[in-house]
Amino acid sequence: MIAIQTGDVDIGKLINQAKQRGTGAIVVFDGIVRNDDIREMELEAYEEVALPELEKIATEAKKTHHLLSVDIIHRIGRLAVGENILIIVVSAGHRKQAYEGSRYIIETIKAGVPIWKKELTKDGGRWVPGEHQHGCGAGK
Amino acid sequence: MTVRIRFFARFRELLGTDIVVAVPKNKGLSDLIKDVASRNKDGYDAIFDEKGAFREFVILMQNGRRLETSDAPEIKVADGDEIAVFPPVAGG
Repeated sequence: MIAIQTGDVDIGKLINQAKQRGTGAIVVFDGIVRNDDIREMELEAYEEVALPELEKIATEAKKTHHLLSVDIIHRIGRLAVGENILIIVVSAGHRKQAYEGSRYIIETIKAGVPIWKKELTKDGGRWVPGEHQHGCGAGK
Repeated sequence: MTVRIRFFARFRELLGTDIVVAVPKNKGLSDLIKDVASRNKDGYDAIFDEKGAFREFVILMQNGRRLETSDAPEIKVADGDEIAVFPPVAGG
Protein backbone atom coordinates (compact mmCIF):
# COMPACT_ATOMS: atom_id res chain seq x y z
CA MET A 1 0.00 0.00 0.00
CA ILE A 2 1.42 3.33 -1.08
CA ALA A 3 -0.80 6.24 -0.12
CA ILE A 4 -1.08 9.91 0.75
CA GLN A 5 -4.14 10.33 2.91
CA THR A 6 -5.68 12.30 5.75
CA GLY A 7 -6.71 9.29 7.83
CA ASP A 8 -4.59 7.11 10.07
CA VAL A 9 -3.69 3.52 9.32
CA ASP A 10 -3.76 0.25 11.24
CA ILE A 11 -0.06 -0.51 11.63
CA GLY A 12 -0.73 -3.94 13.15
CA LYS A 13 -2.68 -4.93 10.04
CA LEU A 14 0.16 -3.73 7.79
CA ILE A 15 2.64 -5.82 9.77
CA ASN A 16 0.47 -8.93 9.43
CA GLN A 17 0.09 -8.37 5.70
CA ALA A 18 3.86 -7.89 5.35
CA LYS A 19 4.53 -11.39 6.69
CA GLN A 20 5.01 -13.22 3.45
CA ARG A 21 6.66 -16.49 2.57
CA GLY A 22 10.37 -15.98 3.15
CA THR A 23 9.97 -13.08 5.58
CA GLY A 24 12.59 -13.09 8.31
CA ALA A 25 12.37 -9.46 9.42
CA ILE A 26 9.95 -6.56 9.38
CA VAL A 27 11.02 -2.99 10.12
CA VAL A 28 8.43 -0.34 10.95
CA PHE A 29 9.22 3.37 10.79
CA ASP A 30 6.60 5.59 12.39
CA GLY A 31 7.21 9.34 12.14
CA ILE A 32 5.18 11.18 14.78
CA VAL A 33 4.19 14.80 15.44
CA ARG A 34 6.65 15.84 18.16
CA ASN A 35 5.64 18.21 20.93
CA ASP A 36 7.92 21.13 20.08
CA ASP A 37 5.62 23.55 21.88
CA ILE A 38 3.13 23.37 19.03
CA ARG A 39 -0.65 23.00 18.91
CA GLU A 40 -0.90 21.01 15.70
CA MET A 41 0.95 20.29 12.49
CA GLU A 42 -0.42 20.95 9.02
CA LEU A 43 0.85 18.87 6.12
CA GLU A 44 0.49 19.64 2.45
CA ALA A 45 1.48 17.62 -0.63
CA TYR A 46 1.68 18.05 -4.38
CA GLU A 47 -0.18 14.78 -4.59
CA GLU A 48 -0.10 14.27 -8.35
CA VAL A 49 3.71 14.23 -8.17
CA ALA A 50 4.33 12.97 -4.63
CA LEU A 51 2.36 9.73 -4.98
CA PRO A 52 4.17 8.49 -8.12
CA GLU A 53 7.46 9.45 -6.45
CA LEU A 54 6.59 7.34 -3.38
CA GLU A 55 5.75 4.44 -5.71
CA LYS A 56 9.07 4.86 -7.50
CA ILE A 57 10.96 4.92 -4.18
CA ALA A 58 9.19 1.72 -3.07
CA THR A 59 10.06 -0.04 -6.33
CA GLU A 60 13.68 1.07 -6.13
CA ALA A 61 13.96 0.02 -2.46
CA LYS A 62 12.54 -3.43 -3.23
CA LYS A 63 15.00 -3.94 -6.04
CA THR A 64 18.10 -2.53 -4.36
CA HIS A 65 17.56 -3.93 -0.85
CA HIS A 66 15.78 -7.18 -1.82
CA LEU A 67 12.64 -6.30 0.13
CA LEU A 68 9.64 -8.60 -0.06
CA SER A 69 7.07 -5.89 0.59
CA VAL A 70 6.91 -2.13 1.13
CA ASP A 71 4.10 -0.01 2.54
CA ILE A 72 4.38 3.78 2.67
CA ILE A 73 1.55 5.89 4.05
CA HIS A 74 2.15 9.64 4.31
CA ARG A 75 -0.57 11.62 6.00
CA ILE A 76 -1.63 15.16 5.11
CA GLY A 77 -4.00 17.67 6.68
CA ARG A 78 -4.02 18.75 10.32
CA LEU A 79 -2.45 16.38 12.82
CA ALA A 80 -2.25 16.67 16.61
CA VAL A 81 0.84 16.08 18.73
CA GLY A 82 1.44 12.34 19.00
CA GLU A 83 -0.31 11.44 15.75
CA ASN A 84 1.36 9.38 13.02
CA ILE A 85 2.74 11.36 10.07
CA LEU A 86 4.54 8.73 8.04
CA ILE A 87 4.39 4.97 8.34
CA ILE A 88 6.85 2.76 6.46
CA VAL A 89 6.60 -1.02 6.80
CA VAL A 90 9.12 -3.19 5.00
CA SER A 91 9.64 -6.93 5.06
CA ALA A 92 12.74 -8.82 3.98
CA GLY A 93 14.45 -12.15 4.40
CA HIS A 94 17.00 -10.71 6.84
CA ARG A 95 17.23 -7.78 9.26
CA LYS A 96 20.08 -6.03 7.42
CA GLN A 97 18.02 -5.72 4.23
CA ALA A 98 14.97 -4.58 6.17
CA TYR A 99 16.83 -1.90 8.17
CA GLU A 100 18.75 -0.61 5.16
CA GLY A 101 15.68 -0.61 2.93
CA SER A 102 13.63 1.29 5.50
CA ARG A 103 16.41 3.84 5.96
CA TYR A 104 16.74 4.31 2.21
CA ILE A 105 13.01 5.00 1.91
CA ILE A 106 12.78 7.63 4.68
CA GLU A 107 15.92 9.45 3.59
CA THR A 108 14.81 9.53 -0.05
CA ILE A 109 11.39 10.85 0.90
CA LYS A 110 12.98 13.62 2.95
CA ALA A 111 15.33 14.53 0.12
CA GLY A 112 12.83 15.21 -2.59
CA VAL A 113 9.17 14.24 -2.38
CA PRO A 114 7.02 17.40 -2.59
CA ILE A 115 5.44 17.42 0.86
CA TRP A 116 5.61 20.27 3.39
CA LYS A 117 4.94 20.65 7.10
CA LYS A 118 3.80 23.69 9.03
CA GLU A 119 3.97 23.79 12.80
CA LEU A 120 0.97 25.63 14.22
CA THR A 121 1.83 27.42 17.45
CA LYS A 122 -0.09 29.69 19.80
CA ASP A 123 1.56 32.65 18.04
CA GLY A 124 0.74 31.53 14.50
CA GLY A 125 2.73 29.09 12.47
CA ARG A 126 6.14 28.28 10.98
CA TRP A 127 7.01 26.18 7.94
CA VAL A 128 9.48 23.42 8.73
CA PRO A 129 12.67 24.00 6.71
CA GLY A 130 13.70 21.11 4.49
CA GLU A 131 16.86 19.20 5.27
CA HIS A 132 17.82 19.32 1.59
CA GLN A 133 17.72 22.91 0.41
CA HIS A 134 17.54 22.13 -3.30
CA GLY A 135 14.98 19.36 -2.99
CA CYS A 136 16.72 17.41 -5.73
CA GLY A 137 16.24 13.91 -4.40
CA ALA A 138 13.73 11.41 -5.58
CA GLY A 139 12.03 11.42 -8.91
CA LYS A 140 14.27 13.92 -10.57
CA MET B 1 -3.47 29.40 -24.72
CA THR B 2 -3.83 28.72 -21.01
CA VAL B 3 -1.36 27.55 -18.38
CA ARG B 4 -2.06 26.42 -14.82
CA ILE B 5 0.25 27.60 -12.05
CA ARG B 6 0.35 25.89 -8.68
CA PHE B 7 2.16 27.36 -5.70
CA PHE B 8 2.73 25.28 -2.58
CA ALA B 9 3.44 25.81 1.13
CA ARG B 10 4.57 29.38 1.96
CA PHE B 11 4.25 30.46 -1.67
CA ARG B 12 0.64 29.22 -1.74
CA GLU B 13 -0.20 31.23 1.36
CA LEU B 14 1.12 34.39 -0.30
CA LEU B 15 -0.05 33.87 -3.89
CA GLY B 16 -2.83 31.29 -3.92
CA THR B 17 -2.82 28.13 -6.00
CA ASP B 18 -4.49 26.61 -9.05
CA ILE B 19 -4.17 29.85 -10.99
CA VAL B 20 -5.14 29.51 -14.63
CA VAL B 21 -3.75 32.27 -16.83
CA ALA B 22 -4.13 33.08 -20.50
CA VAL B 23 -0.69 33.57 -22.04
CA PRO B 24 0.56 34.43 -25.53
CA LYS B 25 2.48 31.88 -27.58
CA ASN B 26 6.20 31.58 -26.81
CA LYS B 27 5.81 33.05 -23.33
CA GLY B 28 8.91 32.38 -21.23
CA LEU B 29 8.52 30.44 -18.00
CA SER B 30 10.36 32.99 -15.85
CA ASP B 31 8.33 35.90 -17.21
CA LEU B 32 5.09 34.01 -16.64
CA ILE B 33 5.90 33.30 -12.99
CA LYS B 34 7.04 36.89 -12.48
CA ASP B 35 3.78 38.20 -13.92
CA VAL B 36 1.68 36.03 -11.62
CA ALA B 37 3.86 36.58 -8.54
CA SER B 38 3.72 40.36 -9.05
CA ARG B 39 0.15 40.26 -7.75
CA ASN B 40 1.56 40.17 -4.22
CA LYS B 41 4.83 41.88 -3.26
CA ASP B 42 5.62 39.49 -0.42
CA GLY B 43 4.95 36.56 -2.73
CA TYR B 44 7.20 37.99 -5.43
CA ASP B 45 9.97 38.71 -2.93
CA ALA B 46 9.74 35.18 -1.55
CA ILE B 47 10.48 33.72 -4.99
CA PHE B 48 12.71 36.33 -6.67
CA ASP B 49 15.71 38.27 -5.43
CA GLU B 50 16.29 42.00 -5.91
CA LYS B 51 17.77 41.36 -9.37
CA GLY B 52 14.71 39.41 -10.50
CA ALA B 53 16.46 36.03 -10.41
CA PHE B 54 14.92 32.98 -8.76
CA ARG B 55 16.03 32.63 -5.18
CA GLU B 56 18.49 29.79 -4.75
CA PHE B 57 16.09 27.49 -2.89
CA VAL B 58 13.10 27.79 -5.25
CA ILE B 59 12.04 24.57 -6.99
CA LEU B 60 10.21 24.53 -10.33
CA MET B 61 8.31 21.80 -12.12
CA GLN B 62 6.78 21.75 -15.58
CA ASN B 63 4.17 18.99 -15.93
CA GLY B 64 5.61 17.14 -12.94
CA ARG B 65 9.25 17.27 -14.07
CA ARG B 66 11.82 19.26 -12.14
CA LEU B 67 13.60 22.10 -13.91
CA GLU B 68 16.74 24.03 -13.09
CA THR B 69 15.71 27.59 -12.25
CA SER B 70 18.72 28.80 -14.26
CA ASP B 71 17.13 27.26 -17.38
CA ALA B 72 13.73 28.85 -16.76
CA PRO B 73 14.32 32.09 -18.73
CA GLU B 74 14.91 30.07 -21.90
CA ILE B 75 12.01 27.64 -21.44
CA LYS B 76 8.74 28.38 -23.22
CA VAL B 77 5.42 27.28 -21.84
CA ALA B 78 2.87 25.38 -23.94
CA ASP B 79 -0.91 25.27 -23.93
CA GLY B 80 -2.19 23.15 -21.04
CA ASP B 81 1.10 23.14 -19.12
CA GLU B 82 1.05 22.82 -15.35
CA ILE B 83 3.79 24.81 -13.65
CA ALA B 84 4.55 24.20 -9.97
CA VAL B 85 6.60 26.57 -7.81
CA PHE B 86 7.57 25.61 -4.29
CA PRO B 87 10.13 25.94 -1.48
CA PRO B 88 12.36 23.05 -0.26
CA VAL B 89 10.38 19.98 0.68
CA ALA B 90 10.02 18.80 4.28
CA GLY B 91 8.07 15.56 4.25
CA GLY B 92 8.61 12.55 6.46
